[in-house]
Amino acid sequence: MDGKPEFLKGTLDLVILKIVALGPCHGYAIAQRLRQISKDYFQVHQGSLYPALHRLEDRGLLQADWRDTDTGREAKFYALTKKGQKHLETERFEWERLTEAVALILRAVE
Amino acid sequence: MRWLRRLLHKSSVEAQLDNELRFHLEQQIADYVSAGMSPAEARRVALLEFGGLERVKEEVRDTKWEMHLDSLVRDFRFAIRTLRKDPRFSLVAILTLAFGISATTVMFSVVYNLRFDPFPYKGADRLATISIHSLKQTGDTDGDRDSFTMPEFLDYRQQNHVFEDMIGSYNDMVLFKKGDGTTMFGAAVVTANTFDFYGIPPLLGRGITLDDAKPDAPPVFVLNYKIWKSDFNADPSIVGKSFLVDGKQRTLVGVMPPRFQASSGRLWIPLGLRPNAEGANLVGNIPARLWAVGRLKPGTSFQAATAEFEALAKNHSKVYPKDYPEQFSVSVRSLMETSMGDFKFMLYALFGAVAILLLIACSNVANLLFAKATVREQEIAVRVSLGAPRSRLIRQLLLESFVLAGMACVVGCILAYFGLEGISATIPSDPLPDEAVIGLRPVVFLFALGIALFTTVICGLAPALHTLRGNLHERLMGSGKGVNASFRQGALRGALVVAQVALSVVLLAGTGLLTRSFMALTHIDLGFDPKPILFAELHVPEDRHQTPEEEKEFLRQVLLRVKALPGVNSATVALSLPPVWGIYSDATVPGKTHADPWFTRYDLCSEGFFETLGLHLQRGRVLSESEIASRSHVAVVNETLAKRFFPGEDPIGKRFKLNFLDEIPNAPHDAYFEVVGVVRDFGNWDVRKSPLPEALLPYTILASAQKRILLARTAVPPTSLLPAVRREVWAVDSNMAITSTGTLQELLSLFSYTQPRFDVITSGAFAGIGLLLVVIGIFSLMAYVVSLHTHEIGIRMALGATKGSILKIFLAKGLRLVAVGVAIGFLTSLALTRFLASQLWGISATDTLTLTSVMVIMVLFGAVACLVPARRAADVDPNVALRYE
Repeated sequence: MDGKPEFLKGTLDLVILKIVALGPCHGYAIAQRLRQISKDYFQVHQGSLYPALHRLEDRGLLQADWRDTDTGREAKFYALTKKGQKHLETERFEWERLTEAVALILRAVE
Repeated sequence: MRWLRRLLHKSSVEAQLDNELRFHLEQQIADYVSAGMSPAEARRVALLEFGGLERVKEEVRDTKWEMHLDSLVRDFRFAIRTLRKDPRFSLVAILTLAFGISATTVMFSVVYNLRFDPFPYKGADRLATISIHSLKQTGDTDGDRDSFTMPEFLDYRQQNHVFEDMIGSYNDMVLFKKGDGTTMFGAAVVTANTFDFYGIPPLLGRGITLDDAKPDAPPVFVLNYKIWKSDFNADPSIVGKSFLVDGKQRTLVGVMPPRFQASSGRLWIPLGLRPNAEGANLVGNIPARLWAVGRLKPGTSFQAATAEFEALAKNHSKVYPKDYPEQFSVSVRSLMETSMGDFKFMLYALFGAVAILLLIACSNVANLLFAKATVREQEIAVRVSLGAPRSRLIRQLLLESFVLAGMACVVGCILAYFGLEGISATIPSDPLPDEAVIGLRPVVFLFALGIALFTTVICGLAPALHTLRGNLHERLMGSGKGVNASFRQGALRGALVVAQVALSVVLLAGTGLLTRSFMALTHIDLGFDPKPILFAELHVPEDRHQTPEEEKEFLRQVLLRVKALPGVNSATVALSLPPVWGIYSDATVPGKTHADPWFTRYDLCSEGFFETLGLHLQRGRVLSESEIASRSHVAVVNETLAKRFFPGEDPIGKRFKLNFLDEIPNAPHDAYFEVVGVVRDFGNWDVRKSPLPEALLPYTILASAQKRILLARTAVPPTSLLPAVRREVWAVDSNMAITSTGTLQELLSLFSYTQPRFDVITSGAFAGIGLLLVVIGIFSLMAYVVSLHTHEIGIRMALGATKGSILKIFLAKGLRLVAVGVAIGFLTSLALTRFLASQLWGISATDTLTLTSVMVIMVLFGAVACLVPARRAADVDPNVALRYE
């Protein structure tokens, strides 16, 4: 993640949940989409991504199953659970409130 | 249950993780290839980017607790393997900790049971006793008392506003007729509210109730658990039966549970608080005084109660000035404090000693672990450089010490169990409340566990952190034996040994002082030798000896027969057991006034008393047989009495009166006794204090006493004559009860030496264990230092150093530490031993001889502990040492 900002604490989980909410996908695809959507801003390393995925799975926010990909190779696909859905909504709400508040403060100071 | 499945199917979980990550890698390579890279190049870039499959796996594993559990199990196994690799180290560490833990557990049990939970009674912490102290300190405790006359007790009970309720009791020995014979029990005659007051439900039947003290109530009594078990085989059917108690038929109405020991009674008899009521208020011939216990109202302080009783006593002293010293104070103290007295200081001192012991044990183990950690520096450095997370290494080192502590805890608890058995056997029962039970309690097990955990953290964390701090590179370059270990760490280990030595010196000093004090106590010159003197208490049944002549004749015959026994040199009757037990009175000398009572001990004896005890006559003569027979009002006094009553005068022919005789119905009233002789002072009460004035009077002046004591000086072991003495007494009158018997030495030992002996034994045990641990500590440190310097020693010897010079170097190194420790310990002892002062007698708390010998002992043991490793250093073969690397 050379030269790129570190994920804010907790934001990686939020971003992963959002991407998986768009449709079930495997780890590699998540990393790719993260990069594409953020226009190369976020480059998440495997050493952070996979522990995060497993952690979310253990917490019951994601569920995983093995499926064949387009190329016919078996891969572990992650999908959002109901609990994950709910979690994503609250977290997103919190995030928006936070950024809004921070933006307000920054504007006021200027 | 997913986690369970995962735990059981670990390999499949691992395979899936591997598969998932490989898929990621393959996709990446495929993407690079399609972007135009050569397959080989794509693979290289992707792998580089991925940064190690195993590392990512490890990080994923870290998110799962069952993986933690798994690695914990692996670390655990590893820890056990490490400890088994070095059994000597493990054994020493475990035993060291176990000693510390068991000693702490034992002392904690004792202190907890005695200090925090001695009484099972309702509102136990609010129970209070009242005592009156004379303010004129004449050196004696003249006029101090904690018991009250009947009117005094009643007034106090009715007029005070601080107690919820108040009970009174007195103790008396009662003859108890059961089936085959007569025994004697210590009875407590208690006010009828006592059982309600303490709030303990009876085991069987009922306790004493208020109805039992009514004038026409049938006579009853209640039995305590111990006697019920020992003398009645715990037979529940005896409740409701009638027994002959002191010549009176009484119905047994209840049995109390084991921890109910109100007023130390073996059986309880109701006391009516009116003259001539049930439980006649006389002990023998003397009006009983009541020992009182009150329960403070909630929220009332002992100070407030003291103030209240001070005022009550002042009022009362105006009505009964005779009962009070001229100036006095009153104190209301907790029952616990009065029953424990000074002993609680000893308990605290022992607790302190144990804390010291635990500190020594912990520092010892810390030192061992330090030494080990240094040796393992390279291993740890290698593991860190291979990517082992520091948290994992710390966990592993901690786990290692936890295993040590856990094993030590198990061994410690076993030791504690036996230690507690031992201490229960030696602990003196006298200063302890009868209700206290000393036993291992669950809370104590938790305490031991706490100590084990504490020890783990203290002993494990410090070396763990040290090992991980600092320059790894340097460690890797090291020789693998920690030669590069910083000097600072060596200094820390040295400091630990210094601290151990200092603590041990403090323990030894305390023990030394207690031992010397005990020796001084047992070597007091009593003025007579208690060893060859046999005593037997004779109890006279009430229907015997109706006339004084009958009694005199009985005693004369008994004395004749006992004196005639082979092995008996002389015999006498008496009323007291010098120096332990006696009777006291104020005295009057014609023409002399004194503000404070002249507290005088007196005894009623026959002419053989002086020869039997071996008293030295200084002036005049001893009592003659004819004076005894004619009930003459003559007396032999001791030097103290002569000096106090008749200073600067010739006491022979002078007269004095013992005021207390006036209160005894069958004693001569208003009788003045003429001094016919003076004997040298002899120990006649607390052996640690100077003798009281003593008067020896003819026993015949008191007609029909219920109790007489037979004393005999023997030329053979006294107790071997007991059966013969019994036979002779019963030959004269078979209805005579012979109750307590033994030698005066045994009594003295029981009453005066038990507690100091306990002090010496326990503190000795602690000091001994402490010294042993310190010797192990010094030894292991020095052995380690020598092993570190093997290479250096080789070089020195190769360059011409002699064995002697090497020996000297290491001996000096160790002894320097010991010397510093001894010096610090000496200063600490000077500061701390004064807390022992209340337990010491005959020596000062900073006794030079004791402290010097303690320091010499410590240096000697330290030298021995250093000598073995130092000799090993001197025996190093330079060839071997130099090739060693």
